[in-house]
Amino acid sequence: MRDDICNIVENIQIQGEYYLLKIHSEYISARAIPGNFIMISVSSTMEPLLKRPFGIFETDPPYIWIYYQVVGKGSRLVSEFKPGDKISVLGPLGNSFPPVTNQSILMIAGGRGIAPIHFAIKKYQKENKISLIYGARSKHNLNLLDLLKPLTLQVLLLYSDDGSIGKRGNVTTDLRKTIQKSGISITFSCGPDNMFKSIYQVTRELKTRDYASLEALMGCGFGICYSCVIQTRKSGYQKVCTDGPIFDMDEIAW
Amino acid sequence: MVDLSVDLGFICLKNPVIPASGTFGYGEEFLPFFNLDLLGAFILKGIYKNKRMGNPPPRIQETPAGLLNSIGLPGPGMKELKKIIQRVYQSTSTPIIINVCGETDQEYLDVAEYFDGMEEVAILELNISCPNVKSGGRCPAQDDKHTYRLVKQIKQSVSTPIMVKLSPNVTDISAIAISAEEAGADCISLTNTFLGMALDLESRKPVFPNIVAGLSGPAIKPLALRLVWEVANNVHIPVIGMGGITTGQDVLEFILAGATAVQIGTINLVEPAASIRIIKEIKETMEQLEIANLKELTGKLQT
Ligand SMILES: Cc1cc2nc3c(=O)[nH]c(=O)nc-3n(C[C@H](O)[C@H](O)[C@H](O)COP(=O)(O)OP(=O)(O)OC[C@H]3O[C@@H](n4cnc5c(N)ncnc54)[C@H](O)[C@@H]3O)c2cc1C
Ligand SMILES: Cc1cc2nc3c(=O)[nH]c(=O)nc-3n(C[C@H](O)[C@H](O)[C@H](O)COP(=O)(O)O)c2cc1C
Ligand code: FES
Repeated sequence: MRDDICNIVENIQIQGEYYLLKIHSEYISARAIPGNFIMISVSSTMEPLLKRPFGIFETDPPYIWIYYQVVGKGSRLVSEFKPGDKISVLGPLGNSFPPVTNQSILMIAGGRGIAPIHFAIKKYQKENKISLIYGARSKHNLNLLDLLKPLTLQVLLLYSDDGSIGKRGNVTTDLRKTIQKSGISITFSCGPDNMFKSIYQVTRELKTRDYASLEALMGCGFGICYSCVIQTRKSGYQKVCTDGPIFDMDEIAW
Repeated sequence: MVDLSVDLGFICLKNPVIPASGTFGYGEEFLPFFNLDLLGAFILKGIYKNKRMGNPPPRIQETPAGLLNSIGLPGPGMKELKKIIQRVYQSTSTPIIINVCGETDQEYLDVAEYFDGMEEVAILELNISCPNVKSGGRCPAQDDKHTYRLVKQIKQSVSTPIMVKLSPNVTDISAIAISAEEAGADCISLTNTFLGMALDLESRKPVFPNIVAGLSGPAIKPLALRLVWEVANNVHIPVIGMGGITTGQDVLEFILAGATAVQIGTINLVEPAASIRIIKEIKETMEQLEIANLKELTGKLQT
């Protein structure tokens, strides 16, 4: 973990409020593993004050890629970064998805949740069979499909709330069927909070191991401020930034 | 060469920069970023007698150039902290300060006595801004008599130097500072966070389950500077200033206002090595302004 000044290499608008950011960081690109995230300082002034957390979408030493959605003032400032800008980046942070080999893994992503999932597919596809369920509100939110093409996927299922791309529905619409049909033994997911809950209802019943990449409001990202806690069943509050962001869903007190 | 050392009377620090409680973990989390030996001293996260969970989330909200927090002082309890201190002590010779908390006067006393005499502990900082269960949730810092009683009792029972940390949420902060001094405090630190609030219009509810929260960060610097100046003018013991410090220049302003040393808080969350940058900036600014040592500047405000 380091806090370095890094160069912005590219900042590409994929569609609407979704962007890919390429950052030069030899240090992070050499060390990051799927599930890790970074904290980016979005302004060189004290306003906004806090760094913002973003999952790692891909490493391509000496570069890392971030896939982000503009949702407020911090992410809007990120969308204004230009090649050559220098920003302070802290990372790599957090834990990672569990090591798995020779299994059928089902990856589930909602919206910008594709970021850590994309990185996980890249790393796990060599030694596992990967299926992906990817959902969004509408086709304007479901993008990146070109970037998914090079991935080795057994099954790719797309869903949108309005049916404008893939099937009408959400990532849980055919979840039970997919897990049963494709012999899935473990799922990795990332998306909005309500998505995790509905996935867990299915995986708990089918006794499928379920790992999710959670989000929380973060003050520091490296375990100092205790702002990012989530209630667990056995260990009280845990910090999403250092105990997570990847959690075994059986451990979370929903 | 400029001289950054400062003298608190009972201890000399190699420089005036002290990371503040709750923004510096237990020190060891910062080892990946710098050598703790570079600091003047550092303060561990506030500690109660027993393990505490802290408040339900959300625990923070950003404000313009500031941070509201309602963390609720989670912690492992004093016995567990002792082990941590013994571990951290192995990695540095910089003085370690414990931030002592309590829900009752007895709890403050128990915690202070527990760490008293540990060679690893240089100073006990009394966080008298903790809600007191026997005073209807008011904290000792809001009452000069309570402050006096508590500090006196602790001073009589322990030999480790005491730093009393004041709350800004009072009408007459000097009265509290004077009480602490009369009760035997070795030095005073201020300020803790300013009480604030955040609301959600849609749900018509407060953002924090605890309703109120503490404001820190650059937004409070002018308020903190005024309080430090006022307290420094009214007591004879050293004052450790804090509130929104992010640069070496800020540090020198607090010292000019009357502080002997300073604490660095919220900026640690954003920039882990902020304290090291700040030490460098103090040196540079002193050179520019031809200030040979900090004593020359302490309280030399021309009004
Ligand atoms: C471990 C982790 C990994 C993340 N990875 C990505 C990623 O790969 N791509 C991406 O686009 N976003 C990611 N996020 C979310 C991202 O951090 C927030 O969208 C961003 O901080 C919002 O900042 P803002 O200033 O634009 O929004 P603000 O103006 O601060 O807030 C706008 C909205 O976003 C919500 N929000 C603010 N901060 C967070 C946060 N830390 N987590 C969740 N929601 C938040 C607020 O509640 C509010 O509704 C991640 C968050 C975490 C904790
Ligand atoms: C996340 C957080 C946790 C804190 N925890 C403590 C604590 O445990 N004990 C304490 O005395 N002060 C605590 N404080 C207050 C700081 O030590 C400091 O007094 C205050 O933040 C003002 O300084 P700053 O503006 O530089 O942050 C905390 C502040 C923050 C932001
Ligand atoms: S974000 Fe500060 S402890 Fe997790």
